[in-house]
Amino acid sequence: MPRSVMQRRIRMAAGFLSAGLLVELLALLWSYPIAFLVSVLVGIPLVGLGILIFLYSLVSVRE
Amino acid sequence: MITPGTLTALLFVVTLGMAVVLFARPTLTDTREGKVLAFAALFLLPLLCSAVSFSAHVEKSKTTTFCLSCHTMESYGRSLNVDDPRYLAAAHFQNHRVPEAQACYTCHTDYVLYGGLRAKLRGLRHVYVQYFGQPPAPGAIRLYTAYNNRECLYCHLGARSFEDSPIHTAMRAEVISNQVSCLSSGCHDTVHNAGGLGNVKFWKGTP
Repeated sequence: MPRSVMQRRIRMAAGFLSAGLLVELLALLWSYPIAFLVSVLVGIPLVGLGILIFLYSLVSVRE
Repeated sequence: MITPGTLTALLFVVTLGMAVVLFARPTLTDTREGKVLAFAALFLLPLLCSAVSFSAHVEKSKTTTFCLSCHTMESYGRSLNVDDPRYLAAAHFQNHRVPEAQACYTCHTDYVLYGGLRAKLRGLRHVYVQYFGQPPAPGAIRLYTAYNNRECLYCHLGARSFEDSPIHTAMRAEVISNQVSCLSSGCHDTVHNAGGLGNVKFWKGTP
């Protein structure tokens, strides 16, 4: 795999993770049900997506 | 002093910082150290952050302010400040027989194995109904099942105020076996009365 493709995936993973972590961090500042929903329905899926893309970038590497 | 909140914020800021660095410089992963950094920043730490965040939200969901933040629960919140000792929830709340910060959860959880989990699953359903369904009118809200004496006895059994009462002594077996309800037997039958708070006096609370 061209290195640039892997780096693009890592960048994409880091982007999703950053967005998800930011959402989770902001949601933690409030103790309302809507904050819980935002964290579970937006933050955690974004983080999960970032992790999956990162793992995919690892297993799809061909030397 | 370092609080759990500070540690959580620190964990998030460090993880976020590392993820942003990798977003800006993905070429860092060309080196062995960069790969280790990426594994921590894009896998281990985000997992930890999400687990901590979820756990913190679950803890927050036990708080009185969390429960009372829904409009439907407003009158139940007001019922905690009724100036009448016959109002069971008010008497418990005002006299700190339940923790003020977790007043709702303390009474509305089942004191059995997985009772807390069941209460939280019910809470999730309430959140769903609040935002995506049709929340019932406050006066129309009913418990899923009749209130079990077990929840009262979790604190009161063995307490002097309970054990010294001749009425409790006379009905002890029936109360413990849940044959006679603490709430509906004409003994402690005014709990929240959320639909009838029009003509009651309210306690102003501590200064």
